Amino acid sequence: MNLRLELTKLLNLCFVLSSTFMMWKGLSIFANSHSPIVVVLSGSMEPAFQRGDILFLWNRNVESKVGDIVVYEVEGKPIPIVHRVLREHHSEKTNKQFLLTKGDNNAGNDIPLYANRKVYLQKDKDIVGTVKGYFPLLGYVTIWVTENKYAKFALLGFLGLSSLLGDE
Amino acid sequence: MYSINQRFSTVANQSLSYGLLIIAIIVGTSYYQLQSSNAFNNLITIGNINPTFAIRTSRYYGSTNGKPKENVKLTFDLDTDLTSLFNWNTKQVFVYLVAEYKGQKHPAISNTVTFWDKIITTKKDAILHLVNEKGKYNVWDLEDKFQNRDLEFSLHWNLQPWVGPLIYGETVGNTSIVLTKPEKKKKKNTGQEESVKENASVDE
Repeated sequence: MNLRLELTKLLNLCFVLSSTFMMWKGLSIFANSHSPIVVVLSGSMEPAFQRGDILFLWNRNVESKVGDIVVYEVEGKPIPIVHRVLREHHSEKTNKQFLLTKGDNNAGNDIPLYANRKVYLQKDKDIVGTVKGYFPLLGYVTIWVTENKYAKFALLGFLGLSSLLGDE
Repeated sequence: MYSINQRFSTVANQSLSYGLLIIAIIVGTSYYQLQSSNAFNNLITIGNINPTFAIRTSRYYGSTNGKPKENVKLTFDLDTDLTSLFNWNTKQVFVYLVAEYKGQKHPAISNTVTFWDKIITTKKDAILHLVNEKGKYNVWDLEDKFQNRDLEFSLHWNLQPWVGPLIYGETVGNTSIVLTKPEKKKKKNTGQEESVKENASVDE
């Protein structure tokens, strides 16, 4: 048992964790969105996106176009929603834009989902990002981790143990 | 020297970098295929656009505080062939018929609205020949009235790949109409007819 070696391993673990965090925050600044990568949780955009698909977001555009798939947040609801822009109204004088969205697989538009009896979303306030890229199914790992009580601890424990016990 | 950890990380690194390479090849070749089959210049004809109007007071039809809101629904004819959008990395194509127009009270406001859309997942469904097709949506404007606007119709598409970036495009061939009530309804209500004519002359 060498104390210096053990401490080095601990330092390595911290390094891995902090660099992952930095990567995430860097990507966040690059895309100007607080969550630049999201995992699809519902089937409202099927067959375009299924549960577990990974989406890459971009939020440096000033205006959304009709047909864009956007991720938006509703006040008081923790889960962001991925839907397509059905209508947009914007003024050339002010930089305000109103959007109406709808899920491809839903029958009606999203007005029933909006908070505070609103009938439109605002681009600058409500939109988290526009979907630019797509990777299928890999997000099931995070769904499994967040929805299974023990999976989180198992994953954390495995990561911690492997970096502490592994020989350099 | 060759511990399980090392073997594992080597395998993980290799599979990640080869995976990225394969994705890049898939994205590159499928995009080249789209370009070479001229998928960005598909021709389209839209015609026979007939609007119907209804006054709604529900929030789900755009009304706020029960104020009457004019809703428009369309029937239309449409012809196009989008088979060139289907290649080996195409999961689905989402086509949507949009109209662009300016505000009447506030001409600085630009609007784009969807009247109809369709999800196409197979190549044989990609030939669209629609006659008197009903628009899917009741459409309203920010303003209460929607009549007498100049609408420019165009068909857009969004290609969803199996993996890679989403691709957007437009077909060639736009159609413009002015939203007016059909003749029959005008005769019933003479007062409305006059107001429509007045507005039309102001627009000109």
